[in-house]
Amino acid sequence: MATSSAVQIRDLHKTYIVPEREGGVRAALASLVRRRKQEVRAVDGISFDLSPGEIVGFLGPNGAGKTTTLKMLSGLLHPTAGELKVLGYVPWKRDRDFLRQITLVMGQRNQLVWDIPPIDSFDLNRAVYRVPPADYRRTLDELTELLELGPLLKKPVRNLSLGERMKCEMAAALLHRPQVVFLDEPTIGLDVTMQRRIRGFIAEYNRRHGATVLLTSHYMADVVALCRRVIIIHHGRLLFDGDLANLVERFTAHKTIVVALGDCGADLSSYGEVVSCTDGNVTLRVPKAETARVTGRLLADFPVMDLTVEDPPIEEVIDRVFREEHS
Amino acid sequence: MRFLRLLFVFWRVGILGELSYRSNFFFHLLESVLELGTALAGLAVVFSYTSTLAGWRPDEIVALVGIYFLVSGAIRMVIQPSMERLIEGVHEGTLDFTLTKPADAQLLVSIQRVEIWNITDIALGAGVLTVALVRLGANVEVREAAAFAAALVAGGIIVYSFWLMLATLAFWFVRVENMLQIFSSMYEAGRWPVSFYPRWLRFMLTFLIPVAFATTVPAQALAGRLTWQTLAGAFALAAGLAVVSRVFWRIGVRRYSSASS
Amino acid sequence: MRGLAVIYVQQFKVTMASFIQYRAALVIWLIGHVLEPLIYLVVWSTVTRSTGGSVGGFTAADFAAYFIVLMIVNHMTYTWIMYEYEYRVRQGTLSPDLLRPVHPIHSDIADNLTSKMITLPGMLAIAVSLGFIFRPVLHPVPWALAAFVPVVLLAFLVRFFVEWTLALAAFWTIRTSALNQMYYMAMLFFSGQIAPLELLPHPLRAIAFVLPFRWTIGFPTELLIGRLTPAQALTGVGMQLAWLAVGLLLMRVVWRAGLKAYTAVGA
Repeated sequence: MATSSAVQIRDLHKTYIVPEREGGVRAALASLVRRRKQEVRAVDGISFDLSPGEIVGFLGPNGAGKTTTLKMLSGLLHPTAGELKVLGYVPWKRDRDFLRQITLVMGQRNQLVWDIPPIDSFDLNRAVYRVPPADYRRTLDELTELLELGPLLKKPVRNLSLGERMKCEMAAALLHRPQVVFLDEPTIGLDVTMQRRIRGFIAEYNRRHGATVLLTSHYMADVVALCRRVIIIHHGRLLFDGDLANLVERFTAHKTIVVALGDCGADLSSYGEVVSCTDGNVTLRVPKAETARVTGRLLADFPVMDLTVEDPPIEEVIDRVFREEHS
Repeated sequence: MRFLRLLFVFWRVGILGELSYRSNFFFHLLESVLELGTALAGLAVVFSYTSTLAGWRPDEIVALVGIYFLVSGAIRMVIQPSMERLIEGVHEGTLDFTLTKPADAQLLVSIQRVEIWNITDIALGAGVLTVALVRLGANVEVREAAAFAAALVAGGIIVYSFWLMLATLAFWFVRVENMLQIFSSMYEAGRWPVSFYPRWLRFMLTFLIPVAFATTVPAQALAGRLTWQTLAGAFALAAGLAVVSRVFWRIGVRRYSSASS
Repeated sequence: MRGLAVIYVQQFKVTMASFIQYRAALVIWLIGHVLEPLIYLVVWSTVTRSTGGSVGGFTAADFAAYFIVLMIVNHMTYTWIMYEYEYRVRQGTLSPDLLRPVHPIHSDIADNLTSKMITLPGMLAIAVSLGFIFRPVLHPVPWALAAFVPVVLLAFLVRFFVEWTLALAAFWTIRTSALNQMYYMAMLFFSGQIAPLELLPHPLRAIAFVLPFRWTIGFPTELLIGRLTPAQALTGVGMQLAWLAVGLLLMRVVWRAGLKAYTAVGA
């Protein structure tokens, strides 16, 4: 166990006991008499370490255990079993010094007070986190510049658009310069431009201050843009922990060939699996081993205007990872 | 010390937020005046038929009404908004943000909201109380004033603890906002001395829903009717409830931390 | 007609289902309705102790009868539609309601009646218990008993239409709480909830005669406990019918105007 890790997780478990009930009046009455319980393993034995300054993507479908893990890391949930350390602290003990060094941002959930301008909510956080005035001013200026918050600070939060609100939420969460940042779907619901801005901000922030970032997201673009390392979780278990590049390498047996032929008349099914054809650009999926041979045949048999060989989109890779897990 | 600083910051922010809505002030004032007017009019009708009521003189009951409004204003200004917000926070999951902050969670949830315009109720109540005392020609000695202040403090702690315990139920039940309503409903009875009511109702208003300690006991203090035993009892109850509510709160948070996903 | 019946049955099911969930809210609602008359019962009974046993022709037992019956009548005629509309406009759920091809008042009435059906047994049980505690004395007269049910029905309709019309103020302003407060305060006074109207000074009694409040709560109560002559009862019913007509008329006018105002702004 490396003592310089920012986050250490060993064999972490979280199990819920959930009452089970069907719909309908009879079932409702029955449940008054006898409660049926079901055990849900949200996190089923995961282990990993995060080094200081890493940005790591934490991926998985809904209900995979991402948010549960994040909550255990920030001290909001008590684990059922296993060891957990963040910055040397045990999170669920909720040591004040620990809480001062971490932050949690949840997409679609606001900590900003609704009726007042963000600057006032920032003020509250400053008091709660006991940020010295000079540091506060410096951090606020930096965040205002990086996130372009200038005109937003004095408008009541309810008058801000979703994207503007998210920017302010991020700022509010970072006023105390935490060393560990937990981001739970921070770009969800935002338009593409705003997503890009937030991503850019996170990257820049990490570059400047070396904060450790654990990011969960549905959007591949987030992960591809920010994370070299990804951890994939499904049904509470880790499926993959390593470089994004390795992920593609390991979990795909195919390559994608895009051939520009001018029209879609030709039948290319003998060369490989035809995925689609638009405006004369045919997309083929071929086994990796066949790539060179199929490429050669295509070039020989057709007047090819353009040809590219690509890895399949990461969404597809991840999708395959999950489906393989099922089978 | 730190608690006071945090309190001050939260209140300042809350007040600043509302100050821009001056029309709220006038509407609130209108509603308060109407409510007060009706209460006093009802009193007038009752006292057109008798000059004392179970030993209480008209102006003493007017003083009670003043205290009733004063305390009601204080509750609606600081206690009720925060507790309502707490229940929302439990159900929406925004309580998570509070729990990741490096400050006592109970403190943070208790001061998070201020509805400043209820200050009109406090002012009106204080005004009515003053007028009543003047009309009584009461020489409110230092001892009685001190007992009054002490009774108010004890009553305040009791009411706060009660509201906190009700709001803490949100960790177990979904529709708790309605339960908060129960205090407001029963509080109506505080407009008259609790000693009027039959024993079973008096018991409920003292020990089940702490209306008596909020209104009647301070009024008795001012009128010089308060025995030291009752005052001591009020403080004992305040201390006890403060402890119980804190323990209950911690149990609730613990449950939230084990059960929520 | 059959279409309407279907709506009522549907609303019945919906309200029943939601009440199974909102059990606590119901209990608290009941408590609120019990406490107010109870407080004044106690207060006026206390007054009788200082005035030699009776006040203006009411003994403590008479007050008990008056306020316990008042409690039941108030509950049976109660509407919360003003708060409901303020909520609907604020949440924006009013627009979908307006899209339905039926006047929304029908589901509102159905919802109201269903709620009462659920709570009435509890209310009656409480009334009976209070009866044992306070020992009321009633002087029921056969014709008054017979007239009670239609009178209460009329009272409910008058109250519902008047308050429904006022609820539509939500179309024009969000500041309905001040308006609600004014209405509620006037009602407290002039309906006989604070004191039997006989006990109010003459000018106030005159005002109460003209306003609708007495005819929704005080009048049915006075009828049942046997304090009215047949002539007075007939006058009362006449006033109820008058206010019913006014209520219906106002309702149509305000509804139309309100729709225009609401849709003009952009629902």
